[in-house]
Amino acid sequence: MSDKKRVSRRQFLNYTLTGVGGFMAAGMLAPMVRFAIDPVLQTKEGGEMHSVASVDEITNEPTRVEWTIDQVDGWYESEVQKTAWVYRNEKDEIVALSPICTHLGCTVDWASNEEYPNQFYCPCHGGRYTKDGVNVKGTPPTAPLPVYEHKVEEGMLYLGEAQSRKGA
Amino acid sequence: MRWKENDIKQYLPEKEYIDTLLIPLIPFDPASDQMMGKQAFQKEINQIFTSLIEKEYRGRIFLAPEYYYISGAAETEVSRVNSWINQFKKQPFMHVFLFTFDAKWKKHEDELTGKLLWVPAIQSGNIQSTETQSFVKEQAGQISELIQAYW
Ligand code: FES
Repeated sequence: MSDKKRVSRRQFLNYTLTGVGGFMAAGMLAPMVRFAIDPVLQTKEGGEMHSVASVDEITNEPTRVEWTIDQVDGWYESEVQKTAWVYRNEKDEIVALSPICTHLGCTVDWASNEEYPNQFYCPCHGGRYTKDGVNVKGTPPTAPLPVYEHKVEEGMLYLGEAQSRKGA
Repeated sequence: MRWKENDIKQYLPEKEYIDTLLIPLIPFDPASDQMMGKQAFQKEINQIFTSLIEKEYRGRIFLAPEYYYISGAAETEVSRVNSWINQFKKQPFMHVFLFTFDAKWKKHEDELTGKLLWVPAIQSGNIQSTETQSFVKEQAGQISELIQAYW
């Protein structure tokens, strides 16, 4: 009886120690594991396309379109509002730009600064982008605005994920 | 930027650019049945407000952890708020704004070392209603214009 007890105590101790050891090992592993699974933990948008606007509303003037997606972000699932600047370029192709400034993430506006009526303007540090979303040299951003993947189906514009582009 | 590990990582090397601090001041009093519902609603609206502003201007505005206090005690809170601001000023913040629905702060505005952005509270209502949403969006737009006027 007492023997059994001792064993069980030792076992308990053993478990505990393995537990602690295991825990510590996990602690040491964590950064590596994190690296390995990072893409999973990061914001996932599932690569789905969302219908955002009817194609015949799209003109040469960039307009702001908004839609919401369900975003799974590690622990949280939430509804997130997405925004794009959408217009037709000279070749009549549809362009959809992310409004997130590539400098530090503020939201840029089209033609909001009187001095630059044909550019995207960032209110935070005066970052600017030409109509095609390319950053203007000498302003803080170092890369163009990301472009959304898009497709047109039955007269509707669908947007997917925003793809970053290389610096100008 | 927010008080989140990832945001802090981005903040530290670029701190000179993020020169504006926004501290939400949120009153509560769990002793009063009557106040609880109203205050909880206002806390939610306050968070929606400051999140909207942070999202648009995250490259320049740092959203501080919320400052909670027992309602009615604004005068005794002045020094505690100021001590928060003091600590934050050890980082290169140029503009400090305090955002609240609590009118009691108005009386102590001059003693505060940050700029008070007091907005009259919306009475409780459905937070999901499009009416509330468009109202909050519009007001948030105006508040950010006000902040930009200081830049
Ligand atoms: S965040 Fe846009 S210029 Fe700095």
